[in-house]
Amino acid sequence: MASILVIAEVQNGKVRESSYELVSFARRIAKAQGSEVRSLVAGKGASAAAEELAKKGGGEVYLAEHDLLAHYSVDAFGKAVRAAVAAASPGILLFSHTPIGWDLAPRIAAALDGAFVSDCFNVEESGKLVFLRRVFNGKLDARFVPSASPVVATFQPGATSPFEGALDGKVTPLQVAISPQDLRAKFIEVRTAQKQGVDLSKAEIIVSGGRGLGAPEKFPEVIQPLADALGGAMGASRPVVDAGWLPHAYQVGSSGQTVTPKLYIAAGISGAIQHLVGMKNSNFIVAINKDADAPIFEVANLGVVGDLFEIVPALTKAVNQAKGKA
Amino acid sequence: MKIMVCLKQVPHQDARLDVRPDGGWIQEDNIKFEINSYDTYALEEALRIKDAGGAEVVVVSIGPERVTQSLRTALGMGADRAVHVKDPEADASDPLGVAKILAAIAKAENPELILMGLMADDGNSAAVPPMLAELLGFASTTSVMKVTRSNGSLQAERELEGGALEVVELTGPSVLSVQTGINQVRYASLKGIMAAKRKPIDTKSVADLGLAGKVGAAAAKIKIEKIYPPPKGKGAEILTGSTDEIVNKLVGKIKELGLL
Repeated sequence: MASILVIAEVQNGKVRESSYELVSFARRIAKAQGSEVRSLVAGKGASAAAEELAKKGGGEVYLAEHDLLAHYSVDAFGKAVRAAVAAASPGILLFSHTPIGWDLAPRIAAALDGAFVSDCFNVEESGKLVFLRRVFNGKLDARFVPSASPVVATFQPGATSPFEGALDGKVTPLQVAISPQDLRAKFIEVRTAQKQGVDLSKAEIIVSGGRGLGAPEKFPEVIQPLADALGGAMGASRPVVDAGWLPHAYQVGSSGQTVTPKLYIAAGISGAIQHLVGMKNSNFIVAINKDADAPIFEVANLGVVGDLFEIVPALTKAVNQAKGKA
Repeated sequence: MKIMVCLKQVPHQDARLDVRPDGGWIQEDNIKFEINSYDTYALEEALRIKDAGGAEVVVVSIGPERVTQSLRTALGMGADRAVHVKDPEADASDPLGVAKILAAIAKAENPELILMGLMADDGNSAAVPPMLAELLGFASTTSVMKVTRSNGSLQAERELEGGALEVVELTGPSVLSVQTGINQVRYASLKGIMAAKRKPIDTKSVADLGLAGKVGAAAAKIKIEKIYPPPKGKGAEILTGSTDEIVNKLVGKIKELGLL
């Protein structure tokens, strides 16, 4: 019987939430196809995590333990995945679209000469399999239909609810032969992000600017004055930081800071997914953008389709006046 | 050393994206194209290695005639020569098909290092670089924010979630996918653009690469059934009126939130 293989990730000794989300997707597909869900936990000292996954996610959980799996490396983890593939002969392999998933899953797909689809936000499992994902940096959605087996797919973390069910799975040890020479991309260390004085996570009001500002000097001229008038902090989207207009400390998004202020004002930010995941849980969002189709308007509460260079200074003036009257 | 840089030409970031009537892709007539933003950073990183200690930089792209423009731009920035896979047989390849084409070129070029963007601004798959490494048996890492070479060893800092960085040491020929912001990308100088006119662009067909029938739409293992604008959710309430009216409504809302 064809199986669906979930490649779980372990962080700080625990199975990541996104791996339970994969179990949710896998169980939906398995139910429609009449197949079964199996999982892989690879690591060093990961048996407690594997037991937890067996208990909460169910099914057969392969546990690959090895000293050389203590840290992620595409080569060592690739060997563990291949051993699990040999054991389970899966028709579908699911990874999370994380720094491990996007590093490892395409290599596995190429090795298996399979169909590959990445960063999916959903799957339709009744009838033919359809994977749903965004293209053009979130501006369009797409339906992808595989026509070969196995299918290797990565899913956006947070795309569905983590699987919850009291199922009795079992852990099966999986032997993986790895030698130090196999590690051609070798883990050296992780450097955590430094907080460089701008802690946006505590700000009640954030005014962020994006590529629409057009030039670095527009931040002190247009964005900072509104942030100051409101007693808030200034933020930015990734293209601004990539261009060197502002330091990384100002970046809001998946590779910067995740923020939940009472008020988030986005000016000249189109709303690439990587920005949205960092600010969409703000209490109230105002978006100002000249493009009415910008994805930012989908997460905003209030939108202004117009010229930020007209709206933002006028708003700054009005806020200062309102404060003067108070 | 020889560095191969893979470039994809994609619709300009500000191009209007209209879906084709058959839903299979966007309308490509009458829109501007540019080099995928991620790939420009990969090219810049290769040119910096060349500037620092000498390297031959070969740029490779797949696509129709219009791709020549992007290859000329890359040559104008300082790449030494270009390979253009220009063949309708390559159209609508899936990422694995693209990786097979690039692998065939890499086998002929035999580079020590292959640099390319983490993903493309159109497909957003982030699939081709690790696939290419797998097909070639090269070392690989992804989302690279820094490259350091010393005494034959290659170190890369890759971006993790939340801005943390992982340092990875690579042994042997390697494929690195580059994250945006790794460097500041240069512009082609006038002198560079003039010099680029004399630099060679080698054109290849799919058959030249021994891949007839193995890539392109028919060989794709996954197909796009349809692309479409995202379904509109509740979305924002759009404020209309004069600038004063809009600003008054915004100030009213900020007061209502108790923030003014």
